[in-house]
Amino acid sequence: MPLVGSRNLATLAESAPAIADLHVDRWEFPKAQILTVMYELDDDAMLSLLPPALHPTIPPTLAFTVTRVPESPVGPFVLAEVRVGCRSGARPRGFSARGYCDSDEAIRALGERWGYPLRKAAVTLEKRYDRIHSMVEATGVVLDVSLMNPEPVSGNDLQYLSSLNIARVPRDGGHAMRLVQVDPDFTFHSADRGQPQLNAFDAAAWELEGARPYFPVSASYAVADITMPELRYLVDPDKPPLESVERL
Amino acid sequence: MKFGIFYEISVPRPWGPTTEYEVYQNCIEQVKLADELGFDQVWAVEHHFLEEYSHCSAPEVFLTACAMVTKKIRIGRGIVVCVPQFNSPIKAAEVAATMDILSGGRLEFGTGRSATWTELGGFGADPDETKKTWDEWTRIIPKMWTQERFGYEGRAFSMPKRAVLPKPYQKPHPPMWVAVTSPGTELDAADRGMGSLGLTFGGFQEQEKKIAEYRRRIKYCDPVGEFVNEQVNTVNFLFCHEDNEYGGRTGQRLAGTFNYLAEQLLAARQAYPTRSYPNLGLLPALRREATSGPEGTIPEGLAIGNPDRIVDVIKKWEAVGVDRINFLLNAIETVPQQEVLDSMRLFAKEVMPKFAAKPEPASVSAAGGA
Repeated sequence: MPLVGSRNLATLAESAPAIADLHVDRWEFPKAQILTVMYELDDDAMLSLLPPALHPTIPPTLAFTVTRVPESPVGPFVLAEVRVGCRSGARPRGFSARGYCDSDEAIRALGERWGYPLRKAAVTLEKRYDRIHSMVEATGVVLDVSLMNPEPVSGNDLQYLSSLNIARVPRDGGHAMRLVQVDPDFTFHSADRGQPQLNAFDAAAWELEGARPYFPVSASYAVADITMPELRYLVDPDKPPLESVERL
Repeated sequence: MKFGIFYEISVPRPWGPTTEYEVYQNCIEQVKLADELGFDQVWAVEHHFLEEYSHCSAPEVFLTACAMVTKKIRIGRGIVVCVPQFNSPIKAAEVAATMDILSGGRLEFGTGRSATWTELGGFGADPDETKKTWDEWTRIIPKMWTQERFGYEGRAFSMPKRAVLPKPYQKPHPPMWVAVTSPGTELDAADRGMGSLGLTFGGFQEQEKKIAEYRRRIKYCDPVGEFVNEQVNTVNFLFCHEDNEYGGRTGQRLAGTFNYLAEQLLAARQAYPTRSYPNLGLLPALRREATSGPEGTIPEGLAIGNPDRIVDVIKKWEAVGVDRINFLLNAIETVPQQEVLDSMRLFAKEVMPKFAAKPEPASVSAAGGA
């Protein structure tokens, strides 16, 4: 059967956000700007980045996603994620161990509601005619990524991965580490694609020690209304893939 | 109704020094038996880099080996990836003609374009281009076979006049097929007078609509080859056993394993935004549909269970317009080889006789095709 990850996520427990109540209502983020860049990963770390509940994609991939939300219940914010492409059983997913956001309010809300494991940083997303560029500065520049030479496509041509965020959730009278599935809906206003360009990436700053993105795959940029979902699934990271998914 | 077998050649981990050898030997043994039992065709895919799911990157070699140990079974190259980074159209025509000669005129020639980033990225192919190069190649390959010397100036391929040799044994040339996985490709097949080589496992209802439209469209086709190959070939799983419950359970394990492996692939669509690969991992969706019956039941369209059940299923496929069914017999050796062979024997004894040979479509027989 397919390969599975070997990572013990216990080291992330302390910094993972806690979700007090798994019954969250939907939030709308109108006219969000979304930059996504995909690279293939060197296979040295294809198993060590993922927990045993997840299969790596063949080839292993890394998706860099930066989302500018101009309007939300907690005000505007810019969110940066780096997700490892994987499969939860047979489903395509992106595993996220650490993200960055420029708003304290958003960090708290996204962590408490959808398990986003975020830290504060300066996150920029800039749209020009020749490129869409993003930079994340935390302890120095931890990500510098661009889409070059944008050309319009249809929003229907884009396919986004659902996230699995590492978080602590109420289970068995206490808190337990789980991967929280976040699968937003997108209504597209516009979309572009272009050449991906990764200028800087500090893997350790994203809790992805050993990740070496080396082969550019694709880049897209979209303006879309995002509907943040109710929580539907949890994944126990330490169980085998076919036993790990819990439906809420 | 004709029956065939279909190979992805999936190889289970852990990969020992002889694992691939053993899987290939099992496949050859199955093909030899299929020939003896009266199966009509054996198809093998061309896939690259798809760990466990398919170790069948040189199907022309595998199929030639099959041809050398069989007498009657037809040899389906399913499919030649018509993308320049994968194959040259000249080489594809030459290899196919050689296979046709060596098999004594038993070649079926499938065409396609690959659907995974794993493969397209590996070869450095542009996903936007694959449909275009497929279209160009399917028009020139039959001319390479039938013209004494062939020259061409095209968009993605050009060549000065040369004799592309050898020429196929079947005259004017082997029947041509298109692998149909993306929605609408069955119409591309119809418009070009090619057979529809269904590689998905959709249920009756969905397939019936597609087949009806294929039949309607092919009447007005502009054939790329010298004749129209109006045939609909679909893929199914086969596990036949006297005990319906055991047969169903084992067959579902086979189908489930195959689908699980298929879902691990990185579809072109999932990696690269392009209109060339229509929405949302179609293969996984269709495979799910075909293998997820109501709880406790065998999904309606699968040829698994006891002979009576399988006869009923195949009659339904026949009624919706399918001409041929190719069966996947195993996935990462989930089913022990002896049980695969027994299943084939039981199928040949109890099921095959219930399906009297239908006359060939006029367009094929008139042209001296398959």
